[in-house]
Amino acid sequence: METPDFDFKALWAAQTATQPDLSEVLARIDQYKRSGRRHILLTSITLGITAAIVLFVVFYFQPEFVTTTLGVVVILVAIALYVVVINRDRVLFQKADESGSNQQYLKNLLAIQEKQHFIGTTVLNVYFALLSLGIALYMYEYAARMTLLWAAVTYGITGSWILLNWLYLRPKYIRKQHSKLNGLIDKLKHLQGQLGEE
Amino acid sequence: MTFEEIYKSYWQKVFRICMGYANDYDLANDLAQEAFIIVWQQLPKFRKEAAIGTWIYRIATNNCLRQVERHNRFSSAALPLNLAEEKQPNLEPQIQMLYQFISELPETERIIISLELENVKQSEIASIVGLTEANTRVRIHRIKEKLTQKFKAHGNA
Repeated sequence: METPDFDFKALWAAQTATQPDLSEVLARIDQYKRSGRRHILLTSITLGITAAIVLFVVFYFQPEFVTTTLGVVVILVAIALYVVVINRDRVLFQKADESGSNQQYLKNLLAIQEKQHFIGTTVLNVYFALLSLGIALYMYEYAARMTLLWAAVTYGITGSWILLNWLYLRPKYIRKQHSKLNGLIDKLKHLQGQLGEE
Repeated sequence: MTFEEIYKSYWQKVFRICMGYANDYDLANDLAQEAFIIVWQQLPKFRKEAAIGTWIYRIATNNCLRQVERHNRFSSAALPLNLAEEKQPNLEPQIQMLYQFISELPETERIIISLELENVKQSEIASIVGLTEANTRVRIHRIKEKLTQKFKAHGNA
């Protein structure tokens, strides 16, 4: 085949853009650095508040049973775990090496996404399990002081609420997360397919 | 090479590659700036074993591909020709058409042809995209044919 009759290169090169001043790019770099710091700050603040609540409950309410304190701790561990993992996921993406070839880069992104798929499900399961366990433990001290009937009613209501969470909300969150990730994974696979051997 | 020097000598090239990918002036501008932020970040890690151009183009094209993860805010195929026109005054219709046609290609083909038109050596393109040289040559040829046909279909023969 002969070369095409259009001078694509000349047309291509005719496209020019005013080059933004270097200071504009440097300002964006600065902004970027700040937003990274903001994330770390946000995580630290959340964790700080969580710790403060634990201490507050323990010292202010002075629960007699160790189960109450344990319950609060478990609930807060669940929240802390969730916050940390969500934030770590952000960093995970930055680990894909941008200076590899497109082929390698897509492979990296795909591996990261698939890992995220797994981590997301596991973390959500653990989060819900810890939350339920924490609530059950926390309630024990107060239920122990009730009559048997009231204790049964209280645990019954809480139990059904936990069941609702586990059977309805948890699968719903997981589905939502998966459908988002699956869309992305499909798109990445599609891009990778474009580079497959012919 | 300092960051400033890189920025001066590569801005236009990187911008055009992003423009070939997105065919949207603002988005291309954004993508190019993002690419330079990554270049700035990674510059201390740059090893001399690769040519700096190859290294920059890898970062720029990977950043374009990463669009799928970030914001699915554009779909170039659905972008009407006249909408793209508004942003770029005084451009010949043929130039606009070329960029429009390129943005209608599959993503990786956009990257390959953009690099080719930017006069990047085919062996370098192969190493940027991650294909063999022979495969790259075949693809470039095929993409050019596609583009020629698109031009002809528009009565520009």
